[in-house]
Amino acid sequence: MDEETSNSARRMSMRTRKIAPKMAAALASSDNRTQAMLSRLDALESDNAVVEPQLLDDDDEASLDDEDQVFHKYPKGTKRKTRQAKALENKRAPKSFLELLNEANLESLPPHVPTYLRAAVGPPSSIARRHFCTVCGFSSTYTCVQCGMRFCSIKCRTIHNDTRCLKFVA
Amino acid sequence: MSNVVVLDNGAGVIKAGIGGERDPTAIVPNSMGRPLSSKKWLMADQLLSPDVDLTSATARRPFDRGYLINPDLQSSIWSHIFSNLLKITPSHSSLLLTEPLFNLPSIQRSIDEIVFEDFNFKALYVSDSPSLVHLYEASRRPYGLVSKAQCSLVVDCGFSFTHASPVFQNFTLNYAVKRLDLGGKALSNYLKELVSYRSVNLMDESFLMDHVKEELCFVSLDLPRDLQIARKPGKDNLFRCTYVLPDGITHTKGFLKDPEEPKRYLPLYDEALQQVAEEQIDMDRLENTDNSEDRNRRNGSKIDLTKNEFGLTNERFLVPEMMFRPADLGLNQAGLAECIHRAISSCHSHLHPVLYESIILTGGSTLFPHFAKRLEMDLRPLVPDKYRLKITTQEDPILGVWRGGSLLASSPDFDAMCITKAEYEELGSARCRKRFFH
Repeated sequence: MDEETSNSARRMSMRTRKIAPKMAAALASSDNRTQAMLSRLDALESDNAVVEPQLLDDDDEASLDDEDQVFHKYPKGTKRKTRQAKALENKRAPKSFLELLNEANLESLPPHVPTYLRAAVGPPSSIARRHFCTVCGFSSTYTCVQCGMRFCSIKCRTIHNDTRCLKFVA
Repeated sequence: MSNVVVLDNGAGVIKAGIGGERDPTAIVPNSMGRPLSSKKWLMADQLLSPDVDLTSATARRPFDRGYLINPDLQSSIWSHIFSNLLKITPSHSSLLLTEPLFNLPSIQRSIDEIVFEDFNFKALYVSDSPSLVHLYEASRRPYGLVSKAQCSLVVDCGFSFTHASPVFQNFTLNYAVKRLDLGGKALSNYLKELVSYRSVNLMDESFLMDHVKEELCFVSLDLPRDLQIARKPGKDNLFRCTYVLPDGITHTKGFLKDPEEPKRYLPLYDEALQQVAEEQIDMDRLENTDNSEDRNRRNGSKIDLTKNEFGLTNERFLVPEMMFRPADLGLNQAGLAECIHRAISSCHSHLHPVLYESIILTGGSTLFPHFAKRLEMDLRPLVPDKYRLKITTQEDPILGVWRGGSLLASSPDFDAMCITKAEYEELGSARCRKRFFH
């Protein structure tokens, strides 16, 4: 995020630049980059790589298997709701912490009350961000113009382009 | 006096036992897991049994970002622990429970409900972890600074986040607490992501990655130099380690290919060892010139793809490095050293010198080798020269909180500090909670 602002500041220079429209579009999509960054950070807090569907108790699941065939007889969208499916809907998935945090409405408390929000340590004071090559981990000097990830050499760039570039955003 | 159950309810690991004892009876993961092959969810201690194959197991945790979000799940894990591991009857015992700092009122309410309505405990005392750590450290050294000044700075690197909290007269100064949103879970997941991209896709193997992290990761004391060394090929690369993945037939747990391998870098960090190691390397070289196969095996440079293993080099120290510079990860937060500095700066200036001299590290993530030393290196430039800096790691950072709790539970005033079931029924959760001052 810091990087985005500094980049845009750099692009504000007086010199007019001509760049291909495709590239301009890619550069302008800082939204996507921030989004990708946030989703990466979010992924660090997840328990499982694949999000599981809401789970049933074992015996429920076994009995649902038979019902599956019943479901398929109906065209999509007009699924008949069985009692079990309704019970499942009522058994809501537990709220995530961020939802609970929103509900608690901590912003409304007077400013002298220490809360979860105010305990966060806040942005670093001065230390600039170091960059590591996303491919091999060594310090990187180059940024991918398309997606903003870092690499350190031509070799790593090739690997990056082949395997990862823009695959996070899409 | 009836027995007191002490429950340090961490987001990652539950430590549970009877108050007054030295060690908890149960140290089990606070999660349920389901192996790929079965439909049955395994609870807490069942995940630890050696014959369970946790390959690609799915995990469910009652905690999200350090706070309880799934009370039902927590309640079933507790009931498993109470009946199978501790073998107690809740209606005849009191409970000492830890909760994270700044717990939300709605979560507190649901915890009280579980404790008094599901389990029918006689009485409840809720504490935060820093004050218990302080209590334990103060009692261990009655003539030390911590107990004489009655204050300390507790750095708790937990599973979901890290708190730097000043404690004064056994109370956590909550206005000065600073939180860094990085903990053991994020580090494991980061390592998982790196390995999955660079060598083998292990995105489903959370349990395995925890083991890899615990075995192999360490904190670098000189990052540029270590990066240079990690770049070297073959045997000169002191950081390269090979981890063998479970194959599901002969072994269901992963292991290190060569248990001595992770220690090869240690001479770099210890000057006395350096001399010896250099000689040994020379000797090895002489021996190995005529035995090329052996050399290859020792180098670990040839990763045998048929054998399902992967190598780690710079990941070993780049992962814990993120605690000290979260900005590198894209997380817009200050590092651990600055976190401590800010926490202390928020206190009254009379406390500063004492707090800097009594920093206590606790929590599982402080177990990375050289953690305290690196923290000192980072923190020293931020601290005024006239203050002394002393960082102590608890002798057992995972159990530190529990032992403090056990101590508190065996103190004579404990019964008076609790809220009883009758009071809860009379006053309700919110008013009872006022008694705990946090």
